[in-house]
Amino acid sequence: MQPLRIALAQVAPRLGDLEANLARHHELLGEARAGQAGLVVFPELGLTGYQLQDLAAEVAMRLDDPRLSRLAAATVGLSAVVSFVEESGDHRLFIAAALLEDGEVRHVHRKVYLPTYGLFDERRFFSPGDVLRAVPSRLGVGVGLAVCEDFWHVSTPQVLALDGAQILINVSSSPGRDLATSSEVGLGTASSWRTLMRTYAQLTTSFVVFCNRVGVDESISFWGGSEVIGPGGGAVFSAPMFDEGLFIGEVDLADVRRERIALPLLRDERPELVSREWRRLIAERAGLAPDTTAEEGAEDGLDVAAEPGPGRPIGFGGVAGSTGPGATDSEPARPERARPGPARPERAKARPKMGAA
Amino acid sequence: MTRPATATGADGTPLFELPPELAIDTDVARRVIAEFIRGQLRQAGFERAVVGLSGGIDSALVAYLVAEAIGPERLRCILMPAGSSAPASRADAETVVDAIGCASEVVEIGPLIDGFFGVGETAGASGPEGLAASPLRRGNFAARMRMAVLYDRSVTWGGLVVGTGNKTEALIGYTTLFGDSACAFNPIGDLYKSQLRQVAAAIGVPEVVIRKAPSADLWPGQTDEGEAGFTYPELDRLLFWRIDKRRSVEEVVALGFDPAFVARVDRMIATSEFKRQVPPIAKLGPRTAGVDYLYPRRRPGSARG
Repeated sequence: MQPLRIALAQVAPRLGDLEANLARHHELLGEARAGQAGLVVFPELGLTGYQLQDLAAEVAMRLDDPRLSRLAAATVGLSAVVSFVEESGDHRLFIAAALLEDGEVRHVHRKVYLPTYGLFDERRFFSPGDVLRAVPSRLGVGVGLAVCEDFWHVSTPQVLALDGAQILINVSSSPGRDLATSSEVGLGTASSWRTLMRTYAQLTTSFVVFCNRVGVDESISFWGGSEVIGPGGGAVFSAPMFDEGLFIGEVDLADVRRERIALPLLRDERPELVSREWRRLIAERAGLAPDTTAEEGAEDGLDVAAEPGPGRPIGFGGVAGSTGPGATDSEPARPERARPGPARPERAKARPKMGAA
Repeated sequence: MTRPATATGADGTPLFELPPELAIDTDVARRVIAEFIRGQLRQAGFERAVVGLSGGIDSALVAYLVAEAIGPERLRCILMPAGSSAPASRADAETVVDAIGCASEVVEIGPLIDGFFGVGETAGASGPEGLAASPLRRGNFAARMRMAVLYDRSVTWGGLVVGTGNKTEALIGYTTLFGDSACAFNPIGDLYKSQLRQVAAAIGVPEVVIRKAPSADLWPGQTDEGEAGFTYPELDRLLFWRIDKRRSVEEVVALGFDPAFVARVDRMIATSEFKRQVPPIAKLGPRTAGVDYLYPRRRPGSARG
């Protein structure tokens, strides 16, 4: 297998300025080609900027948008991942990442997890995607796309790897925060991401390509630090933090085979087991089956009992006059569960004992 | 890549007291702030900046950060002493200007304050009762006059007004609404006093400015800590655990904070919430700024042409 040169386009998009960002993408595609890159990765919303709010609808593109086609046309003999606001036929807006190859839009991933907490407000403006799919690519291996928060959910890289991806590509607009000196690289966010990327690469025995933007939108500064991690969990090359530019490194895709032969984690995955347990969890969370971790007396679909049982405290930390376990702050608040409860005996019997296998 | 948490002065003694949990990586802070300043100016279509320099650490640090981000030749510092200001404040501000090598000017705001409140036996625009105005009224008025001067100089110098308020004073409300808190953007508003002191030491703010007791300088001998009755390191620690680390009252008391101190600071935070927010607009139409009309401050077409 030929060595693959990967270009990380660590850009600082102009907020809401699609034309300027398109021009920068074309420019860097040219630069990457000149640098013999086979894969070019741009960050999340690299074509629009991140903190769009009501601008999202104004910069949205349909997949048949000629501006997107022209960008795809610039990828003959090249693979590129670009990200933008996609408007669907029924006018939902998605944070999309597209794999462009040989002049075509080969695959579109719609961000599945939209953070709407803390400094994030994505679900207000965007619709979540519903599909996680690895795709074959001209690189000769499967590719899996994910956008930023998608990788804060451990199932995302796992599903993509099991689906055949050997290169997991995460495009991000990660706002830098927490300057505490206890952090490995002086920025809490960066330390967290570095840990995640290495862990995922090792656990999926795949390459992980992380492209994070730089620059400033409103209050938020983006920290860059894009990286390529090898299937053994070590960084192959890293772009600097905060610097704008195109950073090219080389990987040997045969490392995936070597790692997977030596460490056959994917072979040993148990998707049927995971799927079975997830189906059970889904039923329990929907109230369609008794919840095995609910408080005694809780109705199906709820994990807290409305009425306290005899001899147990109300809520965590206890109340005055309560004598049960958890009545003081120093004791665990969760009472011993008296099993089997009335709603559960069949389930408890049906379950094999721990370690009995 | 952990930075040394404490800085020492020329005599080898610590420049300030630093609670360990407030130690920050000053290299990363300076890098992020420099990008922030450049980004704010570029997006607004400006190349220059105006900073009101008091002689204290906050505005001195902002001047250094702006100079580091865009070069001293694009910065103009305005010194605005009032009659009540300590002479040392002006001297310290001039030391900062000389060290940075930026443009500066002095605008005496005493006449503006006297013109309103009156002077001696002569009533000003406020009428005869203005002669008896409290130091607090005068202090707030002075802060708003400084704001008015800065925004005028924003036009004549062609630069954006850079905010100099820190996170500690913003959280307890130790600011004048539309006065010292007014600005186009603020590079240090998310740094506690104990944190910006580290950046100030790293960037080279003169030792005399870092060491002196923080003061609003509204009357002779006034100090923030004397007025408030607690020190910045202890206040910063409490704010850090309550706000940033989301600890409950019970939890911070368990950490060793005095319950009365916690209650008092909690009250200061709550009563000053209005100072940290844009005033509410009565919702009447289909789309209302800040409610359901939500655009970035800076977007295509918003930069000055």
